[in-house]
Amino acid sequence: MMLNTLLELEDWPAVLKVNLVLSIFFLILTILFVGLVLYLRIQKNFKEAHRKKLESKFIDFTSIFLFDPSINKSSALAEFKFDNLKSSYDYKILIKQVLIFDENLKGESTALIKEIFDGMGLHRFLLKDLKRREWFNKARALFAFSKLGIAVPDHLIIPLLQSKRIELRQHAILYFLNTSKTDPLVFLDTLKGKLTLWQQVLIENSLKSFEVEIPDFSRWLNHKEDSIVVFCIKMILSFNQFQNIPFLIECLDHSSEDVRYQAIQVLQAMEVYEALQLMVAHFPEETAANKRSILYAISKIGTYKDLQTLVPHIHKEEVNLQIDFYKISGQFGEGVPVKKLLNIETISKDWEDFQEYSINSGIGA
Amino acid sequence: MKVAYLLSKLIDLQLISISVIEIFSVLFLIYGLIIIAGYIFSAFFSIFEIRDYKRSNNFQDDAALLQSSNLPAISVLAPAYNEEANVVENIRSLLTLNYPSFEIVIINDGSKDNSLQKLIETFELEEQELIHYHHVQTKKIRGIYKSRIKAYKNLRVVDKENGGKADALNTGINCCIYDLICCIDVDCILERNSLLKLIRPFLNNTKRVIASGGIIRVANNCIIEDGRIIEVRLPQTFLGKAQILEYFRAFLMGRMAWSRVDGLLLISGAFGMFDKQTVIEAGGYNHNTVGEDMELLVRMRRVMREQNIPYAVGFVPDPLCWTEVPETTQVLSRQRNRWARGTVETLMLHKKMLFNPRYGVLGLLSTPYWMFFEWFAPLIEFVGILFFIILIALGKVNFQVFGIFFLVIYSFSILFSITAIFFEEYSFQQYKKPKFMFMLVLTALLEPIIYHPIVMWAAVKGNIDLIRGKKSWGEMSRAGLGNTGKT
Repeated sequence: MMLNTLLELEDWPAVLKVNLVLSIFFLILTILFVGLVLYLRIQKNFKEAHRKKLESKFIDFTSIFLFDPSINKSSALAEFKFDNLKSSYDYKILIKQVLIFDENLKGESTALIKEIFDGMGLHRFLLKDLKRREWFNKARALFAFSKLGIAVPDHLIIPLLQSKRIELRQHAILYFLNTSKTDPLVFLDTLKGKLTLWQQVLIENSLKSFEVEIPDFSRWLNHKEDSIVVFCIKMILSFNQFQNIPFLIECLDHSSEDVRYQAIQVLQAMEVYEALQLMVAHFPEETAANKRSILYAISKIGTYKDLQTLVPHIHKEEVNLQIDFYKISGQFGEGVPVKKLLNIETISKDWEDFQEYSINSGIGA
Repeated sequence: MKVAYLLSKLIDLQLISISVIEIFSVLFLIYGLIIIAGYIFSAFFSIFEIRDYKRSNNFQDDAALLQSSNLPAISVLAPAYNEEANVVENIRSLLTLNYPSFEIVIINDGSKDNSLQKLIETFELEEQELIHYHHVQTKKIRGIYKSRIKAYKNLRVVDKENGGKADALNTGINCCIYDLICCIDVDCILERNSLLKLIRPFLNNTKRVIASGGIIRVANNCIIEDGRIIEVRLPQTFLGKAQILEYFRAFLMGRMAWSRVDGLLLISGAFGMFDKQTVIEAGGYNHNTVGEDMELLVRMRRVMREQNIPYAVGFVPDPLCWTEVPETTQVLSRQRNRWARGTVETLMLHKKMLFNPRYGVLGLLSTPYWMFFEWFAPLIEFVGILFFIILIALGKVNFQVFGIFFLVIYSFSILFSITAIFFEEYSFQQYKKPKFMFMLVLTALLEPIIYHPIVMWAAVKGNIDLIRGKKSWGEMSRAGLGNTGKT
C-alpha cells in the first residue's frame, strides 16, 4: 500500500509535492534539534565535570606551588601543563582560576601566581587572543591582563580605546587604569566619545583600590567631552578633593546642562555655602531639572530666606517646581499653608497669590 | 432549452466555487509561508542576539556596581489590588533586592479587602503629608504612608481610589522620587540581582535609553522559599507546560529578535524599567486600553521618533522575573482575550505608524508584523477553520490535500517549539533535570492540537468583545505562589 501511495506521488500537483517535502524537511529538522538539545545537555554536563576536575587539580597544584619550597617550580609547571592543558577550554578554566587566586592573595603570593600564569603559557594564550579579530577574544584577554595588572605593548591596546564595541572600549579603559604605575587616568586625555555611566562606575571602583596617588580631577574639567567632565566632578566628591571647589564653582557657568547639574549636586554634597549665591543668581535661566536641583541644594545647605528669594522666578505654569517649593518649605518648618496651596485645580492661582504675598511682605523681592 | 440553460448556470457556479476555493487555498498558503519565513528570521536574529549577550556578559563585575554610590536610584512601582493574601510576603521579598539605592512604591488601587490595613500594621506605616507631583492625571489619592521603622525607610504605600492598573502606575509615577522607574506586578518573584541586570542597558549606552525589559519565566510549581525561586520545576498541568513553551518562543525567540533589529514594541507589564521623564513626556500609561504596557512603549518610541531624538530600548534575556501563569482554561482564555484586545487597541491608537517609513523599523516591520501575525493570525486561522467546515459540508474536501497541508503546519509548529527549547538549553538552561526537557518535547508535540485552539479562540473572542465595547480586564484569579511546589 505504501508503495502504491509512493507511486501515486508522481501524479500529485506540484504544490502538494512541495508541501510534502517541506513536512519531511521540518520533521528532520525537529529530530535534529532534539538531538542538538540532547547533545548540548550532555556536552554541558561533560564540560562541567571536566571543569570541576581541572579546577580541583589546579587548586592542589597551586597550594603546593605557593607553599612548598622544596619543589622544582619550573619542572612542576611544565609537567602540569603537559598533563592537563590540552584545549583552549582548559586554558580558559585556568585563566579564571588564576584571576580568583590573584584577587584573594596578597604580597609574595601574587608574584608566584604571575609565575604560574607565565609558566603555564596563559600569558601567551591571551596575547594570541588579543591579536585575534573577534572582539570577545580581545575582551577576554584585556579583562585578564587588566585584572592581573600585566602590561602588554601599548600599540595593541590604544586602538581599542576608540573601538566601536563598547565592551572593548570599557576593557581597554580598565586595562590602562590597572596597569598604570603613575598616571592611571592619562587615557582620558585622548578618549573620544561618551564615557558611559557603566564605565564611570568601573573606573571609580578601580580607583578605590588603587595604591598610588589618586590624580587631581580638575585636570579634565575643561575636557571637550561632557561625560568626562561630569565624571570628574563626581570623583572630586568621591575622593574629597576640596582644593578643587573653586573649579567646581566655575562649572556652574558651563555650557552643558549635565555638567551644571552635576556641579550643583556635588557642591551641595560638599556643603559649599558660597556656591549658593551663584546658583540662586543662575536660577531664572536654568533648565527645569537644574532649577529643581537648586531648590534641593537650598533645602540641604541654604535657609528659608534663600528659598524665598526664588519665589518670583518660579512661574505659574511651573507646577512641579511649585510642588518642590512647598515640599522644601515644609522641611524648613515655616508656616507655608502647604495643604491649602496644593489643590491641583487652583495651584497656579494660589501660586500667584503666594508670589504677591511674598513680594509685598518683602521676603521674595 | 431551459434545462440546458440551468445546467450551464450550475456548471458556471461550480466553476466559480472551484476558483474561489483555489484563491482561498492559495491565499492561506501564502500567508502560512510568510508566517514561516517570519519565524525563521526571528530564530536567526535571536540566536545571534543571545550569543552576543552571553559574550558581552562573560566578564562583567556586578560587585563593582553594588559598591558604587554613582548608580542612578530606582523607584520600583507595584500596583496592588486585593492582594491581601500575599502582599506582605511579596514586599518583604522586594525589600531584599540587591541594589544600592531604590524605593518601593506600593499603590493600593482601592482594594476591597484588608490589604492596606495589613500593610499599615505589618510595616508600622504612618500617614505623610499629601504632597505629590501631577505629571499625569490620576484618580484621587487618599493617603501616602511611610514606615516608622528604619529598616523599611525605602517603602512607601500610596492608597488611592480604584482606577485600574494603568491609573495605579500613573499614581506611582506622580508619587515616586527617582528618575528611573521599574514597574512590576506585585505578585511576581524577582531575582535578587534583577535591578542590577535590568539597569545595565541604561548605564552602558551612548544613546538615551528610554526603557529596558526582561524575560518573564513561569513560576508555577517551582520551589519557592522566602520569596525566591530555589528550584525550577515544570508546572503540573498541560496548560502550564504549554505556556512555558509559549514564553520560550515569545521571549527567547520573538523579543530577542525584535531587540536585535531595534523593533521591540512590548515590554511586559510584569517587569520593565523606564526613564520617568520620557514616560511623562509621552503622557504616562493610557487607562483606556487593557494593553497599557504595549501601548506605553509604542507611544514612547513614537514620541522619540517624532522629536528626532536618538534613543535605545534595552532587553535583557537573563531570567529575572518569575510569574504565575493561569492553569485553567477559563482564566487562560480571559487573559488571552485581554491580550488580544490590548494588541488591537494599541495598533488602532497608533495606526499612523503602520507602513509609515518615518518610523523606520517600527513603521515598516514591527507594527505590520503585529497587525498581520498577532492580530490577524487567529482571525485568519478561525476563518480558515470555518472555510474548511464549509468545504466538508459541500463535500469539496480532498482529504489527501488536507492531510498534507495539516502535516506541513503541524511539523513546522513542532519545529518552532523544539527550536525554542534548544534556545533555552543554549542560553540559560533553567530546567536542569533531563526529564523536564523530555516533558517539554512531549508538550511540543501535543500543544498545536490541544493548547493552540484554546488561545486562538480566546483571541477571536477578544476581537468580538472589542467590537462589542468590552473594556474590562476580567477576573484573574490566581492560585498564589506562596506555597508553590513545596514538598
